[in-house]
Amino acid sequence: MSEDLTRRTVLAVLAGGAAFLVRKANGQIVWQVNAARCINSRLGDTGVEACNLCTTECVVALSAVRAVNEYAKCGRCNICPAYFNISSAVNELGQPSEKLCPRDAIARKPIGKVDPEDPANNFYEYIIDEEKCDGCGKCVLKCKEPLGLGSITLRVRYDRCVNCNECAILRACPQNALVQLPIGQAL
Amino acid sequence: MEYRHVQVIDGKGALHGIAVDSRGQLYAAGDSGIKIFDGAGRLNARWATARPALAVAVAGDGAVYAGELGRIEIFDGAGKLLHTWRDEKLLGRVTAIGFTQDSVLAGDAADRAIRRFDRSGKFLNNIGKDNPVNGLLIPNGVVDFAVDAQGVIYAANPGKHRVERYTPGGELLGHIGRFDGIDPAGFTGCCNPTNVAIRDGIYTTEKAGPRVKAYDFSGKLLAVIATDLFDVNCKNMSIAVGSHGRVYVVDTVKAAILVFEPVTV
Repeated sequence: MSEDLTRRTVLAVLAGGAAFLVRKANGQIVWQVNAARCINSRLGDTGVEACNLCTTECVVALSAVRAVNEYAKCGRCNICPAYFNISSAVNELGQPSEKLCPRDAIARKPIGKVDPEDPANNFYEYIIDEEKCDGCGKCVLKCKEPLGLGSITLRVRYDRCVNCNECAILRACPQNALVQLPIGQAL
Repeated sequence: MEYRHVQVIDGKGALHGIAVDSRGQLYAAGDSGIKIFDGAGRLNARWATARPALAVAVAGDGAVYAGELGRIEIFDGAGKLLHTWRDEKLLGRVTAIGFTQDSVLAGDAADRAIRRFDRSGKFLNNIGKDNPVNGLLIPNGVVDFAVDAQGVIYAANPGKHRVERYTPGGELLGHIGRFDGIDPAGFTGCCNPTNVAIRDGIYTTEKAGPRVKAYDFSGKLLAVIATDLFDVNCKNMSIAVGSHGRVYVVDTVKAAILVFEPVTV
């Protein structure tokens, strides 16, 4: 390789890196959770414990990561494994007696034409309260296929993320599930 | 009652639905078409369908019905195409087929309903749609049902954790099943059972974790036929029951059919 070509390559890399930093400084490059890498949402991993490193490692109080329910994918089930602890005893309504979320951050309400006598005869909307959610991932793991439909994933919230140069969650994440993306791809 | 695992039939490729005929031949619907296996699991015949086959059923006259996207194809026993019923609206995604004495039933997962047609393909009525949620609750995306000798339709309604009984006219007669995440007599998870078969009782499969069970017609659990033999990521495991109580279940991940027999004491 000629000296001139090497010099041009080095300059190109430096220019690319500088452009990246400028875009990052302008908020155009952001951190996001790659759901295909995160063990809580990645298909194929069953029988594992929920990973809560997004909660424990983020430098932001309560974490910048939240569970987000994509309504278009949600089954609106009566017995939602992300809402209920489906291994708890069944109550008089025929539903699990315990909720799953340790912070009670998921609310549910029947939607559409409501049958007040038979809870199984309704669709339900599951709404995550982002003021309560700390991104612990328990609901994400239970929503994953085949148990659920995978409508709940962990997402970095940009109004909370301080956009560290080196994400503290990524440092700890064994799956390298935190990635930097142009903001248009990360939304 | 106990069952033992006696055989694995390799489906080679995606498997969606299975059926057993009166001679004990096993029919499998998959992406490449229809395959027929003999009682020993040997491949006897195969033919292609126009689109991936999502369901298969064998009528009393030996005609083989294949459920697909937007259509049902009807073949003779040798694979010669006899008729195609096309209807993008009524046959959006046909994931189950069955028969009463005078009609053909098709589970349309696209509209969460069972369609009833006469033998010529003329639409007669819907089954399972007349309720507040306007259909069967199938977050798993498959309508499955079976028909008993009296023509009563047993439809899996996984979102309600029930198997519902309907008349061919669509009247709901009752149901068996309830949610329970601990008691094996119940159906667990968000939505089970996903698939159902009828013979001398009601046979069901569940997902997460995969489980095969037998009930009597009153809903009493008779047997947990299998739990740990399937890939844990299996779902929508089609089930068929043949003579002598042989139970055939699809492992949708391994693309194989597992065969179980009741243990005679």
